[in-house]
Amino acid sequence: MVTKLRVLLQIAWRNLFASWLNVIIGLVILGGTFLVVVGGSALDSLDRSMSRSIIGSVSGDLQVYAASSKDKLSLFGQMGGGDADLTPIPSFARVKEVLMKVPNVRAVVPMGAANAIITSGNTVDVMLARLRDAQKRMQAGDASAKAEVDSLKAHVHHIVQVLKEDRKNADKLVDESAKDPRAEEAIERVSKDEFWAEFDQDPFGSLEYLENRIAPLLSDGQMAFLRYFGTDLDAFAQAFDRLQIVDGQMVPQGHRGMLLPKFFYEESFKLKHARRLDLIKEEIEENHATIAKNADLQRMVRENMTQPREILFQLDPLKTKEAAARLQKSLKTNETDLEKLLVQLFDTNDQNFQEHYRIFYSDLAPLLELYRLRIGDSIPIRTYSRSGYAHSANVKVWGTFNFKGLEKSPLAGVAAPMDLITFRELYGYMSPERRTELERIKQAAGAQDISREDAEAALFGGSGEDAAGTEGATTAIDEAALFDSGGAARAEETTFTQADIDNGIFINAAVMLKDPGALSQTIQDIQAASDANGLGLKVATWQEAAGIIGQFVQYLRYALYVIAIIIFLVAMLILSNAVLMATLQRVREIGTMRAIGAQRGFVRMMIAIETLALGTAFGGTGLALGAGLVALVGHSGIPAVSRQLYFFFGGPRWFPEVSVTNMVIAYGIVLVVSILSTLYPAMIATRVSPVVAMASDE
Amino acid sequence: MRTLHTIAAALVTVLFCRPVLAETLDGPAMLKILQEIDDRQRNGGDYKALVYLEQKEKDKTDTVHEALVYRRDADNKLMILFTKPKTEQGSGYLRIDNNLWFYDPSVGRWERRTERERIAGTDSRRADFDESRLAEEYTPSFKGEDKLGRFDTWVLELKVKDGVDVAFPVLKLWVDKATHNVLKRQEFALSGKLMRTAYYPKWKKVYSESKQGEVWYPEEMRFFDEIEKANSTLVLIKSVDLRPLEANMFTKAWLESKSR
Repeated sequence: MVTKLRVLLQIAWRNLFASWLNVIIGLVILGGTFLVVVGGSALDSLDRSMSRSIIGSVSGDLQVYAASSKDKLSLFGQMGGGDADLTPIPSFARVKEVLMKVPNVRAVVPMGAANAIITSGNTVDVMLARLRDAQKRMQAGDASAKAEVDSLKAHVHHIVQVLKEDRKNADKLVDESAKDPRAEEAIERVSKDEFWAEFDQDPFGSLEYLENRIAPLLSDGQMAFLRYFGTDLDAFAQAFDRLQIVDGQMVPQGHRGMLLPKFFYEESFKLKHARRLDLIKEEIEENHATIAKNADLQRMVRENMTQPREILFQLDPLKTKEAAARLQKSLKTNETDLEKLLVQLFDTNDQNFQEHYRIFYSDLAPLLELYRLRIGDSIPIRTYSRSGYAHSANVKVWGTFNFKGLEKSPLAGVAAPMDLITFRELYGYMSPERRTELERIKQAAGAQDISREDAEAALFGGSGEDAAGTEGATTAIDEAALFDSGGAARAEETTFTQADIDNGIFINAAVMLKDPGALSQTIQDIQAASDANGLGLKVATWQEAAGIIGQFVQYLRYALYVIAIIIFLVAMLILSNAVLMATLQRVREIGTMRAIGAQRGFVRMMIAIETLALGTAFGGTGLALGAGLVALVGHSGIPAVSRQLYFFFGGPRWFPEVSVTNMVIAYGIVLVVSILSTLYPAMIATRVSPVVAMASDE
Repeated sequence: MRTLHTIAAALVTVLFCRPVLAETLDGPAMLKILQEIDDRQRNGGDYKALVYLEQKEKDKTDTVHEALVYRRDADNKLMILFTKPKTEQGSGYLRIDNNLWFYDPSVGRWERRTERERIAGTDSRRADFDESRLAEEYTPSFKGEDKLGRFDTWVLELKVKDGVDVAFPVLKLWVDKATHNVLKRQEFALSGKLMRTAYYPKWKKVYSESKQGEVWYPEEMRFFDEIEKANSTLVLIKSVDLRPLEANMFTKAWLESKSR
């Protein structure tokens, strides 16, 4: 047997490079194996790095939510942009108590996410809202508000002067008919000193005039989409220990408030000119881009040069003078007009950019409000809940945060953590009392339901008296009777205890494990504990909970499998045909072998071993090349060239590792494909009759 | 002889066909109808109404609101102040000139809103509660006749005039031939996409001292969302009070005071 095997191996070795066909087949096998090793290892590494990002920034090792929920949990929101419809769980305390008894559970953190739109009026709207607040405080006896009122009045007056100047310049370009006489009249009135001298006689009347006649003339209002999640902030910071505060501070224990993701804060609230300068600097320094060659950077430079209004509106007369003096000195020019100086400052190229960037931050920035929202300010958040009603709250921003290693990733910090008590108020849980109140209002109205399809017949098919108009009588409406309470209370200043956090609703919870390796067992244990205690929970892995983002690698893996299967199917076909051709070329040789006593089994074995040798030689080379490439790249790492890649790479660089499993799989596939492709040629070969074969020329 | 026959045939055609074509409305006639519709609903003095709003949406519990609507037609001012449910009490809208403000007492802030604002998240818009200004804001064209239940109606298409900001730039009105009441209204985006269909099945008239005449109002309005087909809104005007309102009512300060 051994001798036979040795002979077969010798034959296989002799035939390995005997035909060009073998070389082509070998190269196909090499390519397929190389792809499986490199692709498989890359995906495994990507899976690991992404799991670090998702587990460490939002999901924890596992997530639990109500099994009765209509949708599946999706921490990053659903495809259409909305949120998954999840059933709220009444008490966190009970869930926490049960889950903490599961041996591998280290921590349970309550959560619940939602989206909100934050709108802010234009520059004058914002300024007038502050003036209104200060005026109210002054009237309430706060003497310190007087200085603020005077400063804001001077500032608004200055903005109107700038606006008047703007319109004067615009007048040269438009004809009389295009002008709005009401706007002209309002600007004329407010730009005069008399308006401001009389302001204090009727401050709120004057404010309404400014709000309704002057503010609409500006159009720089802003809107930002905010995703937030309510949580036990202290437990969250402990469980997700990569979280680090960048500006401000952590929300103090028992206080209401939220943290904003640093990236979101910079993108949404920073002065646009400053943000563009930062982005240009980053591109130049990190990606070695040049303004001369990068169209995006040129666009940003252009936008900074053509939109100096936002900065001019921010400066009151004193600061305008100071800014002009500073820029004059730094830019070494005699120009006195601030608008022209700003254009000169923002007219940057690869030679002067760093210097102008420095001038902006050292000379101009201290005079400006770099952020539309300051740390410590409150954001009014208004959101439509599942109940259909809008709920709102002023939420104080205590600071900004990011996650270590994921500082530049917009995805790792896509949501702002907020205290759970405020979240619950915004969520608008439909209590039985509320449901009863709504039912009462509905019944009192006595409205009749009419479907869209039947509307015309039901509404206009009767006698028609109502539609023709019936006589009615006016009724005195008693307003006092309609207001039965003092309206909604504002709760932003109230504090809460740990018991308040624990004894209330939550939507989902992150579960952190002591040993993440024992994931499958822990899922079973949690499910069993939930079922035994009637909690009605559903357990989701981080991949399931992260929705489409979590399954991204899985989709890539499927794509790789499909490509690999196609390659190997093609390889199998080519291989089968090639082996068949080679077999037919060797009819004489096989016939001779058969004539001198070789059995059919020997011939079958010969062809199989020859193909296996081919697969081993080229497949092995593919394995070695693939593993070598992954090891080489894994040594130096691949830099995350875009912000999105930070999240998938789990940090600024990605270090793929060779996966032994993938090597074994690749080699296994090669062997199976080789064996399968020899079945038909071997069958043909064994049918060769020695007499016929030896009689033929070939 | 032949010419005589032709003339006679033409005469017969004109005489017999005339009743069929007679219902076509020309520009001045349409404008007159729109002015009549606007004028009937205008009080001239002040107006206060108690309204009920009910919103239906797919897979959601119906939302209900009760609100007071205040109008001072002479000054072009409108205020909607919500009274029920409790969580909504004190919030409201204030329109002054072309500014629509929303006040939320739970955050104590005013926000600027547009004409497209869905009042309290329903399918209704500011204009549904305000004085009718069809003749002032739109240019009509005649589209034909239609039967709506047992009513014979004219169908008019209205296009918004230049520089006027409205929620829907194109409207189709079904106007009852007999009473000139608007019974149905379809509203379109500029692209021609149908956005909303409204029905006005109940019209009521009350005597106004300030106008020295009748003021009409739609007692019931039903709005069907044509984008989100499952959404619809019912608005009921439960009572109307035409006595003069306080002089300083249409201010932010007044509305704020209602939630204190």
